[in-house]
Amino acid sequence: MSGLGGWPAAGVVASRLRHVTVRLVNLFRRERLERELDAELEAYLALDAEAHVRRGMTPREARRTALVRLGGREMVKELCRDVHRFRADDLGRDVRDGARSLARRPAFTAVAVLSLALGIGANTAIFSLVNAIFLRDSPIERPEEVVNLYLHQASFAYSSFSYPDFEDVRDGTTAVFSDVAASQFAPAHIDRGEGGRVALVPAEAVTGNYLPMLGIEAVLGRTLLPSDDVARGGHPVVMLDHRYWQTAFAGAPDVVGRELRIGGRTYTVVGVGPPDFRGTMRGFTPAFYAPYMMVEELVGVRTFDVRGNHALFVKARLRPGVALPEAEAAVGAVAAQLTRDRIEDWDPAGRFALLPLTDVLLFPPMDVFIRAAAWLLMAVVALVLLLACTNLASFLLARALDRRKEIAVRLALGASRGSLVRRLLTETTLLGLLAGGAGTGLAVWLLHLLATVDLPLPIPVGLDLRLDGRVLAFTLGISLVAGALLGLVPALQSTRPELSGALRSESAGGGQPGQLRWRNALVVAQLTISLVLLVGAGLFLRSFQQVQSVDLGFGREPTAILTFLTPATRFAPDEARVYTRRLLDRFRELPGVDAVGAISRLHLNPLSTSTSDFNVAGFEPPGDRGAFVADRAHVDPGFFEAAGIELLRGRNFSDADRPDTQPVVIISEAMARRFWEDGDAVGRLVRRRDDEDPPWLVVGVAADAKVRSLGEAPRNMAYLPYSQRLARSMTVVARTSTDPERTALALLAAGRKVDPDLWVFETKTMERHLALMRLPQRLSSFVLSAFGVLALALAAIGLYGVVSYGVAQRTREIGIRMALGAGRPRVVRLLVAGGLRLVVIGGVLGLALALAAARLLGGLLFEVSALDPLTFLGVPLVLGAAALLAAWLPARRASRVDPLAALRTD
Amino acid sequence: MSRTDLLRGTLDLLILRALITGPNHGLGIARRVEQMTQGAFRVNPGSLFPALHRLDQKGWLAAEWGRSETNRKAKFYELTPAGRRHAEAEARNWKRVSVAIDLALRDVGEA
Repeated sequence: MSGLGGWPAAGVVASRLRHVTVRLVNLFRRERLERELDAELEAYLALDAEAHVRRGMTPREARRTALVRLGGREMVKELCRDVHRFRADDLGRDVRDGARSLARRPAFTAVAVLSLALGIGANTAIFSLVNAIFLRDSPIERPEEVVNLYLHQASFAYSSFSYPDFEDVRDGTTAVFSDVAASQFAPAHIDRGEGGRVALVPAEAVTGNYLPMLGIEAVLGRTLLPSDDVARGGHPVVMLDHRYWQTAFAGAPDVVGRELRIGGRTYTVVGVGPPDFRGTMRGFTPAFYAPYMMVEELVGVRTFDVRGNHALFVKARLRPGVALPEAEAAVGAVAAQLTRDRIEDWDPAGRFALLPLTDVLLFPPMDVFIRAAAWLLMAVVALVLLLACTNLASFLLARALDRRKEIAVRLALGASRGSLVRRLLTETTLLGLLAGGAGTGLAVWLLHLLATVDLPLPIPVGLDLRLDGRVLAFTLGISLVAGALLGLVPALQSTRPELSGALRSESAGGGQPGQLRWRNALVVAQLTISLVLLVGAGLFLRSFQQVQSVDLGFGREPTAILTFLTPATRFAPDEARVYTRRLLDRFRELPGVDAVGAISRLHLNPLSTSTSDFNVAGFEPPGDRGAFVADRAHVDPGFFEAAGIELLRGRNFSDADRPDTQPVVIISEAMARRFWEDGDAVGRLVRRRDDEDPPWLVVGVAADAKVRSLGEAPRNMAYLPYSQRLARSMTVVARTSTDPERTALALLAAGRKVDPDLWVFETKTMERHLALMRLPQRLSSFVLSAFGVLALALAAIGLYGVVSYGVAQRTREIGIRMALGAGRPRVVRLLVAGGLRLVVIGGVLGLALALAAARLLGGLLFEVSALDPLTFLGVPLVLGAAALLAAWLPARRASRVDPLAALRTD
Repeated sequence: MSRTDLLRGTLDLLILRALITGPNHGLGIARRVEQMTQGAFRVNPGSLFPALHRLDQKGWLAAEWGRSETNRKAKFYELTPAGRRHAEAEARNWKRVSVAIDLALRDVGEA
């Protein structure tokens, strides 16, 4: 009779909201309502009495009659108040009912909260990452005016600047920029007097106008100012990073004025930066900032007058009203000027590029990958949450259908559909919130793990992963949405008015066709999703397997590594050679060390490359470069033995190879075979690109090793003698028969004995060095496997639930079949077949999607086809087996049904 | 059914119906209902006022203080457009039901 049967869910929510608001408002207006009520009743009485008076009563009689007819003034008022009162008990009752209903089924509630919490926790953790990388507000003043400047060169796009480049741009663009400032990473050796230990910390050398231009203000003391940055080497002061101040100085309030030993010099702390400024590049938070004029002392490399040393990150602030194209024209003019005037050291193809600060995440060429990875992760965790939701929704749907008789009775008794939907929604929203709480805990734990995970990177990387308001709002949002989505479909399905048919007991077998479709769609969806994830995980696992089995051609034995510097500011070239020799000799004496060598840049270092151009008589160089290219490293004679690279022909380097003797080279086998058919290159000449440089004489051929990446074909590699060609940074390679970890520490201790001020850049094991190259495969296979296994577990639970529900619904039918003589195996087959039909549909859909997804992933895989047969056969098999088990277990139970008892159900 | 024991939905419908001709105050509405039903229903204030407040909250009525015909202060209720639509829909509903019940009970009265 009431018109409530067709209420859409949105109407329920809207009307609920309106009621709540009206009642809340009334709460504040209670006083006014009381006065209103009194006045209204008084007016009623007066009007009524007036009518009686007109009919001949005395005013007193009339008043009394009216009062009697009102029938208890207080009661009328109370009845009216009831209408207005904010009945917290309405919502409260729903919440209480929901909580009680959840508590009645602790197993279901635990599974539901756990699986939702996994989904929500994963989403929260990934969103915190995205938040830290993409969204967290920077403290930079008017960031929209700030641009990053890059140098595009023929060989390298988005290069950083050399100091002379910076000076030229700064001085040539005063019309468009109000400020041009620069910073440079400077790993610094800081000695805080803890038992004489020197620690390597990341730091930044910044020009005096850098912090003021960005609008950074100190929380303690002051920031660095232009007056701190005038004379080269003349300003040993630092501003500490907030976090470093907290961790290394325990937030000491009297830190300003303290002195620090850095790189063998005393610096004075002048201030502490704000907590939200984390340095120039996200993820690399420096320990302190020093004036740029100190950079040579900090880094140990000649910087000020060298145009080839590209290390400065340059930022500029646009003058008010200046548009980007104007600024681009201005820097273009500077580049044109350089091309004209500085033939000797300026790359004529060089030009400057601008990007708004707000468009750059980390580094433009890498941003693409970071964005792609972030989207991929977000998509994966969203899928997991969706899966958890669909999974639980089918449980809830099953349960709601179980209760449809009860619901039909309630509807018939006049409960509105809205109130029933509301109660079911309250219950699932409660589930969502519980799971949100648990998920937040899970996310905090995951982020803690992530923050403490030891990545094989040379410089500590750290993002600010604290949960902020935005992350918590996101979590609350997805919890509510998940809860509501979870409840909506089952609620709407089970309260459909047509369900009143459920009252007729003969309809006890099976639900309506519509509900069957829904249930089946949910199962198919989760099977599809888990198949896609598992195929992705399978491909990456196979890829990781391939990566690990690659023979790198070096470092097969346990090996310790130590990288040190001979700063140009401390050592003349000859002194540096003697110093290095002393160090290596000392290392060779260490117990357990079998072989020691040194190389300027160890193979498979993804952070830098160094190459040489060359030509060979009789070979036409490719393209317009006019030369072939070889990777290049400077080694001492011990390197080949220590790294396990066999010398195939010719001789090793020796002390006889001096700067004033014939330049010699040992080349890789690949290079030898490329130019000399039999590979016998010994005694041949390799010409330099510039014929004025004396040619290299090949004295040896070394076995191939991977140089740049794990998947590369053997490359041209040129080893030059350290004794002939100096390098300021050398990596010691020490092959050991004991624990390489301990050997690495022994190297460090021995080095410090030779020179307490030894500039060590890094000590690690070969394993750790190689782990960096394997990191992308390792991370993706780990992440996808974790999600894939999670998804499979969820899908299996879902299928189990749905098949067992279907079985329960068909108890009567099973009873009849068995009473008519069907054997147990036949009944089991029948029930399992229903479930397997869904598995097949989900499997086919999943395979189609996985094929499409695999094509997208193709570029990220290592020596594994995107259509890897093992993965595409193995994953469906695993999934099929799990699904079969999930369907078979409840089916087997059902076949034990006693036919007589089954027929009596309902 | 006793004269005052009205079903809630019926009372609501009667109140809305009573206001179709124009705004009225509580006592006026009660009188109008009695009039319309030729005295079959007498609305007591204990049902009338909560019903008025309920309909007001649902947005079917709007209330305003005004002056009665005898120039006394009184709270006047008026149908909102939504209230008018609701009243019409409910009236149609009621007619259908009442025809059905009439049909069902036809022979009861004749027996």
